[in-house]
Amino acid sequence: MADAVSVKKVSFSYKSDDGGKPYSKALNGISVTIPQGTYCAVLGPNGSGKSTLAKIIDVLETADEGSVTVLGFKAGEETSVYSIREKCAYVFQNPDNQIVGTTVEEDVAFGPENLGVPLPELRERVDEALRYVGLYELRGRQAASLSGGQKQKLAVAGALAMRPSVLILDESTAMLDPVSRDELLNLVEKMNRDKGITVLTVTHDMNEAARCGKIFVVEDGRVTMEGTPAEIFCRPEELQHAGLEMPQDVSLVWNLSRIAGEVITEDDIRDERSRIKTAVRFVSSVKTAPKPPKRRAHAKGRMILEVQDLSYSYDSGKTYAVEHIDLEVYEGEILAIVGRSGCGKTTLISHLNGLIRPGSGQIRFYEEDGQVLTTSRKKDIAKIRRNVGLLFQYPEYQLFEETVAKDIAYGLKNMKAPDINLGLRVKTAAQIAGLSEDVLDKSPFELSGGQKRRAALAGILVMKPRVLVMDEPAAGLDPIGRRMMFDTILALREAGTTIILVTHNMDEAARFADRIFCLRDGKAVVTGTADEIFADEARVEECGLSMPVLRGFSGKVKNALAGRFPDVTFGPSLPDPEGEAVSIVRSVLHAE
Amino acid sequence: MLNNISLGRYVETGSVLHRTDPRIKVILYIVYLIAIFTVNTPAALVALSVLTAVQLIAGKIPAGVIWSTVKPVLPLTVFVFVINLFTLKQGNELWSWRFLLITDTGLCRAVLMSARLLFLILCTSVFLTLTTTPLKISDALESLLSPLRIIHVPVHEAAMMMSIALRFIPTLIEETDKIMKAQQSRGADYDTGSFVSRVKGYITVLIPLFVSSFRRADELAVAMDVRCYRGGEGRTKLNPLKITGRDIFVMVLFLLGAFLLIAVELLSRG
Repeated sequence: MADAVSVKKVSFSYKSDDGGKPYSKALNGISVTIPQGTYCAVLGPNGSGKSTLAKIIDVLETADEGSVTVLGFKAGEETSVYSIREKCAYVFQNPDNQIVGTTVEEDVAFGPENLGVPLPELRERVDEALRYVGLYELRGRQAASLSGGQKQKLAVAGALAMRPSVLILDESTAMLDPVSRDELLNLVEKMNRDKGITVLTVTHDMNEAARCGKIFVVEDGRVTMEGTPAEIFCRPEELQHAGLEMPQDVSLVWNLSRIAGEVITEDDIRDERSRIKTAVRFVSSVKTAPKPPKRRAHAKGRMILEVQDLSYSYDSGKTYAVEHIDLEVYEGEILAIVGRSGCGKTTLISHLNGLIRPGSGQIRFYEEDGQVLTTSRKKDIAKIRRNVGLLFQYPEYQLFEETVAKDIAYGLKNMKAPDINLGLRVKTAAQIAGLSEDVLDKSPFELSGGQKRRAALAGILVMKPRVLVMDEPAAGLDPIGRRMMFDTILALREAGTTIILVTHNMDEAARFADRIFCLRDGKAVVTGTADEIFADEARVEECGLSMPVLRGFSGKVKNALAGRFPDVTFGPSLPDPEGEAVSIVRSVLHAE
Repeated sequence: MLNNISLGRYVETGSVLHRTDPRIKVILYIVYLIAIFTVNTPAALVALSVLTAVQLIAGKIPAGVIWSTVKPVLPLTVFVFVINLFTLKQGNELWSWRFLLITDTGLCRAVLMSARLLFLILCTSVFLTLTTTPLKISDALESLLSPLRIIHVPVHEAAMMMSIALRFIPTLIEETDKIMKAQQSRGADYDTGSFVSRVKGYITVLIPLFVSSFRRADELAVAMDVRCYRGGEGRTKLNPLKITGRDIFVMVLFLLGAFLLIAVELLSRG
C-alpha cells in the first residue's frame, strides 16, 4: 500500500517574532512513515515536537531541512500546498477557535466553499457530513450554542466535507468529557474503517493511544519508539524516560509481573484477553506474599461546608441548572464532583463561594469558632471567598498583572488584611504550587502553559483558603504535568486544606478522592466512596458515569481468578495499579 | 448579566419580509431613508404612518417587539420635540410664559422632527435588524458593494471580518463572564467602590480578555488556513443570495409606496 505520509529527516525551528535568533529545534531530523488507511497516534511530553510534526505534515509550517511527502504531493512546492490541505484535514484542540461559520451548516460548508465546490454538490457534501457525525438535525443552529463535544463533531464534519484522505487530530479530545471523547473517537474510527481515511492523532491520553494500530513516541524532536500499542507499552523504562505512562490496565499486569519476578512481553498485552490471561498466569506463579499495601486512613473531620437543598435556574424557573442539591463537605477530605459536561457542576461550584447566590436553599460555611457564614447574607460573602478558594478550568487565562509575583498577590491585596508579609506569602504560595522563585519577576505571559496554571493556583493559595475548589485542574496537561498537579493536591490535603475536585477522569476520582459526589442533569445521583459507587457496573451506567479503566479491568481479572481458585475472596478494590496488584496476589495466596 | 446583550435583535416570524432577499431590503431601506427625510407636510406624514404600519404588518412584528424597539429612543424623541418646540421663534404665538414661547411653526417642526426620528428607528428595524440576521446583512453588503472591488476595496474581506466578529460575540461574552467570576473569586469587586476603582477593576478583565482574543484570532487564522481559505477569489456559497419573483414583487410594491409618499409630499407642498 502506498504511504499517505512520509516525513524524512526533517528539522525545524520556530523563528522568533522579532527576527532574532531562531528558538531551539522543535524537530530534529525526524522520520515518520504512515501507510494509507492506518490509524496511528503520536505520543510525547509537552514540548517534544509532536504538534509541530502534525503542522509540518499539513504544510502549516515548512521544514528547514528534510522532505515531507503527503499523498504523493511534495510539501514545499508552492502548487502542492492546497492540494495537501484539501486532502489532509486537521482538527484542533480548542472547539471554539476553529469554528468559522455562524451557523452549523455554514461552518461545515466553509472548507468546500473555499475549494470552489459548486451547488448542488456543495449542499450534498454538507448534508452528508452532518448526517455522518449526527448533527444534521442541528444544522440551522448557532454554532456557538453547541456543547463542547458537539463542536468537535462539527469540526470533524467540516473536515469530512472536504472529502479528505488523511485526518489529523491535534489533541482534539483533550477538552472533552469521557463520554464525548469516546463518541468522537468512535466516529473517527468509523471513518478510518468505512472510508479508509488515514488517521493521525496527537494525544496525551494513553488509553486513547492504546486504541490505535500504531504509536510513534516523539522526544526532543525525533521518534524514539515506534510500534503497535503492545510493543510500546511493554517497555516500562523507556516509557518513563519519555515522560509517558502505561494505560491503567497494562500497568496492573506489569505490577503483577514485578511481584511474580517476571517480565511482560508484547504478546502478553496484545489485547484484553491476553492481558487477563497473563495476569492470571502471574498471580498463579507467586509463592510468597508481598507486603500489604498501605491504605490511606481516612478520618472524618468536622463539617466545614454544607449545601442545603440548593436549586438554581438561569431562565427564571423554566429549567433548573441544579435542583435540590444537598452536599456535606468535611474538613481535610478530598471530595470529587463528577458528571458529564453541562450537568451543573460549574453552577454548583460557583455557588460555593457566592459567585452565584442560591435561587433557593443555602450554602453554609462553618468557621472554626463555630460561627456559621452563608452566601445568602451579603456581608458574609467576602469572608467566605477568603475561606473558599475557587480555581476554574483553564485558570491560566485569568492572569493579567505585569509580573507573576504581582499577579499572585492580587487576591491577597484585595483582602486588605493588615500586617501580613506580602512578599513571604507570595513566595510560599508559589513554592507550594510548584513554581520556582526565578519566574516570580517574569511576565505571566512569558511562562509555559503548565507554569501559567501553577501561577494561577498560587494566586488562590496565597489567600490560604481552608477549602480549595478546583475544576479539572489537570485538564490538557501531559502525564508528567498531571502527576505533578496531583502531588500538589495531595500535599495541600496533608497540610489540612479541604479539597473539592471537579473531574471527568474516573480513574483519578477513584484514586485521589475520599468521597465522590455524582451529578446528573442538575440532580445529585449518588454520593459515596469509590468502592460504593463503582461496585455495581449497571448502577455506574445508570448514573451517567463510566467505570474507571483500572477497576473495570481488575474486575475481569478477578472473575478469571475466581474461576481458577474457587475459595478466593477479594477485598475492596484499590484505586492504584500497584496496590491493586498486591491486594489481588495476597487474596489469592490467602485462599490457597 | 452579559447574556442580555443581543446584537441585531433578530425576531423570527417567518413573514414575507423575513424571506425577502437582504439586498432588496437594504435598497428599500435606503429609499425609505430618503423618503423619510423629504417628508415635510402633514399629509405626507399621515401617508408615512400608514406605510410604516403596512411594513410592520407585512413583517408580522409583534406589538411587544415594536414597543421595546421604540422605548429606548423615547427620551431622545422627547428631547428633540422639546428643543424644537421652544427654540423656533417664527410663526404665530400659541402660548408664552416669561421667556418661553411656543409658535405654530415650532409645534409643527417639533412634531415633524420627533416623528421622523421614530419612523427612522422603525424603518431600520423592519427592513434590517428585526427581519434580517446580521449574517445576511453582511452577505447583502458584500454583494451590493462588490463593484467597489474594481477600485481595490477589500469588500469580501470586510464581510468575512464582520461575520467572524458576529460569530465570536457569544464566545467572548461567555469568556468575559468566566474571567469576571475568576477575579471575583480573588476578591475583585466590580459593583461597589468609587468610579475610579471600578474602572481599575475592569482592567483585570480586559487584559486577559485581550490576550485570549489574540490567541483565538491566531488559532482561528490557522484553522481557516487548514481549510484552504484563500480570500474571496473562486469561493462558492452554500446559501447564495437569489432574487426570486416574489422578491421583485415585494420590491416593486414597497418602491411604489415610497414614490406615492414623495408624490403626496410634492403635491401637498403645492
